[in-house]
Amino acid sequence: MGHRAKTDREQAQNGPGAKGNGDCAPASPFAFNQCTSIIKSTGKKASTLKELRNLVAVVTTESIFHHTYQYFLKGHMLEYTNDFAHWAGANLEESALAEQLANIDPYAFADIEELRGEILRVLDNYLAMCPETRKVFTGDEFYFCETITMVCPVGVEARNMAEFLMALKYIDSGAIYYHFYEARTRLGGNTDDFSKWFEDVHAKGELAERIRSIDPFMHNIEGIRDCLTTLIEDELRREMEVVRI
Amino acid sequence: MIEQYGGIAPMSDLILLQRLGEILKGRSFLHVNSTRKGGGVAEILQRMLPLLQQLGIETRWEIVEGDARFYDTTKKMHNSLQGNYEEITAKEWKHHHEVNMENAKKLDLDADAVIIHDPQPAPLIELKKRGTWIWRCHIDVSNPQKDIFDNLSKYCKKYDAGIFSVSKFTRALPIDEFVIPPSIDPISDKNRELSPEEIHETMDKFQIPEDRPMMLQVSRFDRFKDPIGVIETYRMVKKYNDCILVLAGSPATDDPEGAEVLKEVEEYAADDPDIYVLMLPPFSDIDINALQRAATVILQKSLKEGFGLTVSEAMWKSKPIIGGAVGGIPLQIIHGLTGFLVHSVEGAAFRTRQLFNNPEMAKRMSAQGKEHVRNNFLITRQMRDYLMVWHSMENKGQNVLTL
Repeated sequence: MGHRAKTDREQAQNGPGAKGNGDCAPASPFAFNQCTSIIKSTGKKASTLKELRNLVAVVTTESIFHHTYQYFLKGHMLEYTNDFAHWAGANLEESALAEQLANIDPYAFADIEELRGEILRVLDNYLAMCPETRKVFTGDEFYFCETITMVCPVGVEARNMAEFLMALKYIDSGAIYYHFYEARTRLGGNTDDFSKWFEDVHAKGELAERIRSIDPFMHNIEGIRDCLTTLIEDELRREMEVVRI
Repeated sequence: MIEQYGGIAPMSDLILLQRLGEILKGRSFLHVNSTRKGGGVAEILQRMLPLLQQLGIETRWEIVEGDARFYDTTKKMHNSLQGNYEEITAKEWKHHHEVNMENAKKLDLDADAVIIHDPQPAPLIELKKRGTWIWRCHIDVSNPQKDIFDNLSKYCKKYDAGIFSVSKFTRALPIDEFVIPPSIDPISDKNRELSPEEIHETMDKFQIPEDRPMMLQVSRFDRFKDPIGVIETYRMVKKYNDCILVLAGSPATDDPEGAEVLKEVEEYAADDPDIYVLMLPPFSDIDINALQRAATVILQKSLKEGFGLTVSEAMWKSKPIIGGAVGGIPLQIIHGLTGFLVHSVEGAAFRTRQLFNNPEMAKRMSAQGKEHVRNNFLITRQMRDYLMVWHSMENKGQNVLTL
């Protein structure tokens, strides 16, 4: 992935006030932050695929961000990977379109405008093949929303892997979301705060690589916690076995 | 007091509450609604106020009071905003306005942030002098009677922001609109753990037998809650499973139809000794808690619903739940995961039988339901959201705020 053009959201989260661990100095402890979002309605709704397409083209980047990147904050069943796919499958009952939309990886795009372009390309292709999709029942429309996010320190720091493991087990899901999912929009590239800390501060390149290889779309936040816990426990066990020999 | 939520509410909510409390310490926060007892709004305000005060925020709660004509009008407003046709005359609208202006003479409306709950006190916005004024709509206004909403929105448009319980309730208003679901208090008498003795005491008091499976619906006696449909459901279930039905509700001072609906329900239940229709006095929280904990399956078979917090109450008590797929109920019940959503009496009866006959499935759903409530529908999350709205309205234009 090339250079990412930063959105307002990305710039704000990398601003001087934010102490994300992506920019921590070597040997610095991992300071856990959390992010919490509140939903704001845009007042726009779609009841057909055509309406959805036309609104995706004009809604704010914040709204596209919310319905794609923030999908994992909502505790859905993991049948889809973004709200557009979820609506196409569950409400429009267009399963093929739902699958195509779910296959879009938001982290593969330089910025939200590029991501919007890809969503529109998928919608346009589908509309060209199937122009007469159904209208959803009243109440099942797609409601375009955006969010206001507040980031604050959790007050927990880890200086080594054992402390990190303990914190990881008990930290709230909002912190895991912030460092694993939200970090990808801050840092750019397929990386996150956890793997960056292990690599930059503890020279654990292999562990970092294993963390980066966790598929973010195949787990909910609790699943991510479990994956991370397993990887770090394995790493600690290996270290202890080396010491014994 | 807020420390009592440690280990119950998500830690992230408590951390953010503490931080927002530091930022808003010493500021004034006013809530206004139309009743101190009955209904979910009053219930949550009673619990929320002391907690906000403990955070250092000077929080007050005022109510507007009216005569029978005022409540008849606001009840018609409520019904029509939820989609039932009603006529409200120009005189009634005028009376609604006048009652509010009369109330305003004795209310202190000066605060840094003001939340006006529902249509009853909505005209108070005309007296705004300063601060952030927010209209909090607890009703399902996804399909309102147009002329009534148009009249009401003359007031709504003057607020700085609106808060709706579900995104599909939001309207195209020229103000910021936030989506905040309501919540339950896990340590209130309504929801705290009860001892077996406390549960038996309630069952004895109402002479409800404990030897058979129990279906329960707790709600106001309101046609939108479909109590008649619940009795029909019970009669279908009864053909296959010997069970009892308890319908329990409390009166609310702003609901003049309650007595009439109760009479209809009692007549429909006729002389079936296994149907228990209970009109509980206000503040019967422990009895409601006990009934919910004694139930085998809990229903909230609403036809229209603001949010339907009794669903979260049931889920918090690890009870299997069946709810009408309306209003905020689908936010709480993820169909097949945390309960069942139904669209008919037949659907409700089928799912009740399923839960009666599959205790393992009922147990699994109940556990998932409780976690869903912990993460999304506790009072700490709602307080956090109110403070987030207030703080964000004072920092307009910023989508990411670092605290």
